[in-house]
Amino acid sequence: MDATLDLSRWREAPLGLMHRRWAIVAAGLRQLLRTKFFRIMLFLAWGVGLALAVSGFLFTQSIATGGWLESFVADKGARAQAIVSAFTAIVLVYPDVVIGGMFSMLYWLHSYAGLMLSLITLSTLVPSLVTRDRACNALSIYLSRPLTSLDYLLGKLGIIVGVLVLLWTGPLVASWLVSMAFAPEADFFTHSLEPLGRALLFNLAGLVALACVALGVSSISRSTKATIFLWIGAWPLAFFIASFPTTPEWLSSLSFHWDLNQLRGSIFQMERILTDAADSLPLVDRGITEGLRHMADDVRTGDLALTLSGLAALVATSLVVLFRRLRPE
Amino acid sequence: MDRPIIEARGLTKCFGTQRALSEVTIDIPPGAIGLLGPNGAGKTTFIKCLLNFETPTAGTARVLGREIRPGERSSRERVGYSPEQDCHIPGMAGCEYVTYCGQLSGMPFRKARQRAHEILDLVGMGQERYRLVDTYSTGMKQRVKLAQALVHDPDLVFLDEPTNGLDPSGREHILRLIGSLRRELGISVIVSSHLLHEIERICERVVIIGAGRVLEHDSIAALKDRHRRVVEIAPSGEPERFVAALAGAGVPVERLSNGRLRLESRTESAEWILTLLRDHRLPPAEIVANPNALHELFLKAVAGANGTTPATPPPLPPTVPAGAGPTSSNDGRHA
Repeated sequence: MDATLDLSRWREAPLGLMHRRWAIVAAGLRQLLRTKFFRIMLFLAWGVGLALAVSGFLFTQSIATGGWLESFVADKGARAQAIVSAFTAIVLVYPDVVIGGMFSMLYWLHSYAGLMLSLITLSTLVPSLVTRDRACNALSIYLSRPLTSLDYLLGKLGIIVGVLVLLWTGPLVASWLVSMAFAPEADFFTHSLEPLGRALLFNLAGLVALACVALGVSSISRSTKATIFLWIGAWPLAFFIASFPTTPEWLSSLSFHWDLNQLRGSIFQMERILTDAADSLPLVDRGITEGLRHMADDVRTGDLALTLSGLAALVATSLVVLFRRLRPE
Repeated sequence: MDRPIIEARGLTKCFGTQRALSEVTIDIPPGAIGLLGPNGAGKTTFIKCLLNFETPTAGTARVLGREIRPGERSSRERVGYSPEQDCHIPGMAGCEYVTYCGQLSGMPFRKARQRAHEILDLVGMGQERYRLVDTYSTGMKQRVKLAQALVHDPDLVFLDEPTNGLDPSGREHILRLIGSLRRELGISVIVSSHLLHEIERICERVVIIGAGRVLEHDSIAALKDRHRRVVEIAPSGEPERFVAALAGAGVPVERLSNGRLRLESRTESAEWILTLLRDHRLPPAEIVANPNALHELFLKAVAGANGTTPATPPPLPPTVPAGAGPTSSNDGRHA
């Protein structure tokens, strides 16, 4: 005796490959958004973004006629008014150095927050990327569909991109838009584009490195605990060892966090920006000039080629591990 | 004749020095097909090659007319797969999981959700569908695994041991469902199972694989016809008189430990046995033709592939004088 099948039919052509890949990304992000931890991270990331937007907004309004700075010093006496006038004049005369430098500084600082929040979130995400799928034999489910290992991988990569966009790129771009929306001069737009571009370039480099390492680590083991230990070894432990002054540079370059810190210096070029500011701005106080030079020394970075080689080696190793593991078992 | 759902030409898969599949050439027509074979025979490798999980070492294959090539997706658009081992996507409720599987097959979300609920009803999942799959019992996981294989309305479904872990009523329910898939929806089903009676019940054809080769491929009816015509009779009483009547007609009879009598029929039909028993006023309680035909064929095919003789059940003795008195044998039967 057979069962009676009360069932609707679906005989339409399947939706395209992008839809199927997006389904993986959307499901991963939906699962993540259900966790309280990720919602806290989002709150922090957008809080930092808001602070960035407020800083940018205050800076752009500082030179506006009748702006907040002018109003603030209106009753503070002639000396304060003179300082503000001088500052406004410097901004107007050296927009490239001051506006570019200020936004570079803001985005440079934000990159620390963005990277750290992304790394902390990835620590909880890494086991659910590939590890749990392997433990539950979910690869058989994915790959028995009209999907390949590459589609699966792109879907998982999309989840990491989504996390970084929500925690890092989103607040960055939103804060820039807010700053520019109320900027009194076109110079702010023109001279903030380069720092924004550098911030996005570092964001992209971080995305590639973090995505590859996270996916590689996640695919090594089928055990969640083992993956967490591996992530701890690849991130905080390796960074701790790399940060010792006595650690040889080649060994330090095997820490992706250390490499990203080095790359940050090279991309933002804070050393050059601070030195330019110290050299070109007519700063009356020698202390400020010396302070800028000291800061420039502090942010000096190491060998870029070694950093890039280290990152490339880590990315390549992660990809090799990843592709070897992406098969149904 | 319908176009074959599976066409394999010299399909070979080697793992190092071991040949898991050896030049398999077969055309499987649409229908419900049982895939039989002992452990390590190559059944799973065959399915994996057809699903593109494994790249064949040599040979070609087509599924639903689409060639299997590395990176090829379209051959799996209308194919469903329920693997043997426990598998699910962690962190999802049952209905969410099945909907997601539909989306992965290219279904729009709304349609996938609608089909997911219909299929979950069909496989007998109630409110449990709103619980995380991770918390399901083995039986529930088995049902949800079948649901994900069917959600996108495939033309062909591979079911690897689909009744593992199910209780008797659940097993019955799923077997009825699988049987209906072909008859009502026209979905071809390839069932890999060790439970021969289940295969015999739901499948029209059988493919027996052993040592990486196809040993038998035919409809169950044709295979049974080729099999020697064994009949089992359950005497309603006085078994000695049954034995005597049959022996008197020159039919070798084997007495089984469960009280039944086993004999080889002279013709396709068992009608002459009924006539004989009626003449002797011996009404049988039950007559079963070819009771273990598939089982015996399976053992025979596998033994042939291994170059050995099948261990059980033993062949009928050429001539046994009925009523000669019980004689002990190793397997507990007596002639």
